[in-house]
Amino acid sequence: MPKKVVIIDYQLGNLFSVKQACDYLGYDAEISFDPEKLLRADYAILPGVGAFNDAMQKLKVFGLTEGIRDYVKTGKPMMGICLGLQLLLSDSEEFGNTPGLDLIPGRVKKFEVQSNGQRIYKVPQIQWNTISEPEEGRWRNTPLNVCKQGDFMYFVHSFYASPHDTRYVLATTAYGNQTYCSAVIKDNIFATQFHPEKSGLYGLNIYKAWFNQFAK
Amino acid sequence: MENCRVIARLDIKGPNLVKGIHLEGLRVLGKPEDFAKYYYENGADELFYQDVVASLYERNSLQEFISATAKKSFIPLTVGGGIRTINDIREVLRAGGDKVCINTAAIRNPNFIREAALKFGSSTIVVAIEAIKQQDGKYLAFVDNGREFTGIEVLDWAKKVEAFGAGEIVITSVDREGTGEGYDIELTSTISSGVSIPVIAHGGPGQLTHFAEAVTVGKADALAVASVIHYDFITNRRSDMESRSEGNISFLKSGRTRFGKIQPASLHEIKLSLHNAGVSCRI
Amino acid sequence: MKQELEVKYGLPRAVKFCKKCVMSNQRPVSEVEFKHNIATRKKTMAFDAEGICDACRANEQKERIDWKKREDELLKLLDQYRKNDGSYDCLVPGSGGKDSAFQAHILKYKYGMNPLTVTWPPILYTEYGYQNWKNWIDIGGFDNISFRRNGRVMKLLTKLAIENLLHPFQTFILGQKNLGPKLAAKFGIPLVFYGENEAEYGNPIADNSSSLRDKSFHTFNNIDELYLGGVSVRELREKYNVQLSDLMAFLPADAKELEQANIQVHYLGYYLRWTPQEVYYYAVENTGFKARPFRTQGTYSKYNSIDDMIDDLHYYTTHIKFGIGRATYDASQEIRNHHITREEGQALVKKFDGEFPDKYFNEIMDYIEMKPDVFHQLCDSFRSPHLWKQENGSWKLRHTVKEDGTDD
Repeated sequence: MPKKVVIIDYQLGNLFSVKQACDYLGYDAEISFDPEKLLRADYAILPGVGAFNDAMQKLKVFGLTEGIRDYVKTGKPMMGICLGLQLLLSDSEEFGNTPGLDLIPGRVKKFEVQSNGQRIYKVPQIQWNTISEPEEGRWRNTPLNVCKQGDFMYFVHSFYASPHDTRYVLATTAYGNQTYCSAVIKDNIFATQFHPEKSGLYGLNIYKAWFNQFAK
Repeated sequence: MENCRVIARLDIKGPNLVKGIHLEGLRVLGKPEDFAKYYYENGADELFYQDVVASLYERNSLQEFISATAKKSFIPLTVGGGIRTINDIREVLRAGGDKVCINTAAIRNPNFIREAALKFGSSTIVVAIEAIKQQDGKYLAFVDNGREFTGIEVLDWAKKVEAFGAGEIVITSVDREGTGEGYDIELTSTISSGVSIPVIAHGGPGQLTHFAEAVTVGKADALAVASVIHYDFITNRRSDMESRSEGNISFLKSGRTRFGKIQPASLHEIKLSLHNAGVSCRI
Repeated sequence: MKQELEVKYGLPRAVKFCKKCVMSNQRPVSEVEFKHNIATRKKTMAFDAEGICDACRANEQKERIDWKKREDELLKLLDQYRKNDGSYDCLVPGSGGKDSAFQAHILKYKYGMNPLTVTWPPILYTEYGYQNWKNWIDIGGFDNISFRRNGRVMKLLTKLAIENLLHPFQTFILGQKNLGPKLAAKFGIPLVFYGENEAEYGNPIADNSSSLRDKSFHTFNNIDELYLGGVSVRELREKYNVQLSDLMAFLPADAKELEQANIQVHYLGYYLRWTPQEVYYYAVENTGFKARPFRTQGTYSKYNSIDDMIDDLHYYTTHIKFGIGRATYDASQEIRNHHITREEGQALVKKFDGEFPDKYFNEIMDYIEMKPDVFHQLCDSFRSPHLWKQENGSWKLRHTVKEDGTDD
């Protein structure tokens, strides 16, 4: 039976590229805001670009805060992208203090605009940047096993996730003086700060690896 | 690490990829889909499609081409030209674009930037500033492919653009555009140093040295490039142009590939030259 | 009973637009300038049974030309005239715009001729126009003679041309046309090259000695009946104290000089394929030509005829008199060259045609010492009722190429 992928639609961000990536890899993905549909999916993707509190509000409205938690409880694979990663954390600095889904303990912080005297590190960070393994071998048995240390991925964000427990930090990236978490993993939850569907073939490989990891 | 993005910019008119000088005199260089595919497969960090006749018709007609690109190219795609309303933006994103680039609509009503940023996210909204240097040395912003005067000074406007919530600025030197004389370093560094959002330099490169210079001296965060890579593309491969019904194809028919001060180079060559000059980029 | 609308200037009553380009049938064709006064009835461009204009038809013919053959003809011609003793063998009238830049450069550097360029300077130079002229000479590399005519007379004739004919360029065009053969005769240069040829298709020769002599003013039985700026030479003398000697700069060459010089005037556009956009690129590449740094008012282009401030006003007056603005001229040409579609041409005309050229307007009014209000009143008096309708205090065209005129 073909696997069902649900891309969670909470009216924020462009979901079509995520769908294109799934299509390209041969997975039938449905864009939906229905928690019931989500619960029945074999794979779930939580994408997003935009403001944290806006997102949380919309998730609430659609009943998706519970919906996502319920889905995660089933142990089925969930992938978060960009804002989708940030929403998994406990709370965000954006607009004061906004609570998140609290599936991964930690805080979402804002990039400071830094200058090294020569140039300004602009915010949002919009560029290709490299991902690093926190320690050697960390990526084995994760969707990042298809990557090499220093692979370039496409980032676009003003905030970054800071999980309390480094166990969950799957990849790190440096921007200016700031080294931050660029991917997380916790049981069936996998999330990237970068956009794998915008990172060329290397990014598509991550999708592929994620799909395969949980293919039975 | 700060990595400079090299963005392939395609000016599109109807079915054709076109290239002009000072945004004027649009020569047809081929089919945009051929160029886009080649650039995606050969080192482009992003693609940028500008619909150059959209302002005239007051609509952006690239939907089909955007969708076709989005299905096969998995790098960010920015679309500009004739984007006037929230719905226009939605259409572009729905078709598969990742970011939109607005100019006229933003200058006529800066609140549109804010509205769009709130709705779609700041990083989805890129604002283009087309600058023409005046007699007194000031740079003023123009709209409609560098054709309409606004009287607005560019740095003032750039700061406003940032305040209203845009994610990026692309700063075009209309004076340099298509000439191969190099990016306008003064203009680029003024804007890039004056805001804290990313600034993309556009207009003028002709030699490999121009690229690193725009980053190290011009402080650009990203580089848009057109002539250099387009003329490089047509040097080695030709689009089939026999069925063309519109556009100035005299240049293509002539079999020429070089133009003036433009030294054709591939994206790979450009990135290598950046790397050699100490500018970090995705290689 | 419906009142019939007055039709000025002998223009066709029914307004029609070419089915291929965007030109209208109100477009006048060559004037006999010396007889041009307010009573003159205009001859306009013909449209054939299919509704296609002469210029489009002529252009269709161009597609069938064997340009290799034409170039061979040119080479033969040039071989006949080429001098190797350092003297000038041809004369190229021009101002350093894209067309003359192309002509002079290609004749000299590709075909090995030794052209003398001659310039009848603009009435009011634009800064970038002047720079283009300088670059033509300094970067392109040519000898040049610029003939500055009596400024007082030029000013007077320009003003009179505006007042009497709403034709700011009339006397300018006259002088410009006549300068080439005149200087060719004086310098003993037998070959003169004009550029593109839109009207007289199929004939490379614009003029030869006999036709030039025919145009010489000696053929006029009575000089006093010549008109300049819509005013007769007699009136110029009696009312404005302008003598014949003051007018020589505008008049054709002396018949005797022409006879001795044995001049031939050819259109380079007969021999070489002329794609205006490619000519622009050529000029940019070879003679330091730069487009106008802002869009030309009344059209969408930036590189056609940009060296004279009065040019913009001139096209505004053609819009007043014939309903044809600069965008229509530019778009029609580009449609004929297949650079844009008719649909795009229509949109461009709608957007830009008839746009008032305010950038240099005040400067021009100061130059001719006319009050802006007077100019606008003049314009209104020149509007033909069959073309214009006044609606809510503003003038609108009855018929437009997009079929959204008041009477469409």
